[in-house]
Amino acid sequence: MTDDSAAKRERDRHFQQEAMRCLPDVARFALSLTRDESDADDLVQDTYLRAYRAWHQFEPGSECRAWLFTICRNQFLNSRVRAEREVALDAPELEARQAAVVHDSVRNGPLEDTFLRVDLAPAIQRALAALPEVLRTAVILVDLQDLKYDDAARILGVPVGTVRSRLFRGRRLLQESLLVHAQDAGFSTPPSDASRGSDR
Amino acid sequence: MTAHHTHDHEMLDCEAVMQQLWDYLDEELSAERMTAIRDHLAVCARCYPQYEFERAFLTALDQAQQPHSDPGRLRARVASALRAEGMVDV
Repeated sequence: MTDDSAAKRERDRHFQQEAMRCLPDVARFALSLTRDESDADDLVQDTYLRAYRAWHQFEPGSECRAWLFTICRNQFLNSRVRAEREVALDAPELEARQAAVVHDSVRNGPLEDTFLRVDLAPAIQRALAALPEVLRTAVILVDLQDLKYDDAARILGVPVGTVRSRLFRGRRLLQESLLVHAQDAGFSTPPSDASRGSDR
Repeated sequence: MTAHHTHDHEMLDCEAVMQQLWDYLDEELSAERMTAIRDHLAVCARCYPQYEFERAFLTALDQAQQPHSDPGRLRARVASALRAEGMVDV
């Protein structure tokens, strides 16, 4: 065996050890982005081929899953025309107040129990799919993939504060969607005029 | 709120807790701040219901993930594509 082939064999062994064990997470991430299993499978395959070709750029000891998520998201965005406009982000204080409005609107209703008693998965998936991409990806990375804010920030190429804002806004929009779903399903009552206002 | 504080740490009011509730749920705060908020939530009738609500929401969100229908097939497909790219099985 030549030095070159031994090095390649070691490189391939390292790739299989590090990257392939992340495949279930990458598959879930891709499916969350595409919402279509066939498209997700294509995206996962493209991600792994690009990762294999660029494996020399991976820093041993760093978070391989985050590196693969970065490639996966970039591939996803490159494969689509960026039609979504950037979302104007609100101030954190306003986010907190708006979250409180959502909570106030359901605190006398059973939506909290509904989270626990009713299979909300289809409604959540629909609401997640309807989020603007920048908000959806932040929610996916932190809430579905359990990444810390700084890991999500590295993947998205934005400051941690931006991840926080996108995450909070995404969660609030999801809660509003689920509130409508609960009302339509008869689990909750519409918010009162008092709690609907923004001058609390 | 009334509280018996056995720790020598900062006291937080409800507004400060609400502004940091998501950070608390995501465990993105310092150990001291996590303790302060946990102690506040334990005795605050106003904040605790919102904490429970947000926690239930995050649990529901986590459980809503769409599973892959055939992960074995996907793994085989990716491995096949990588072998075609030149990767050797080791």
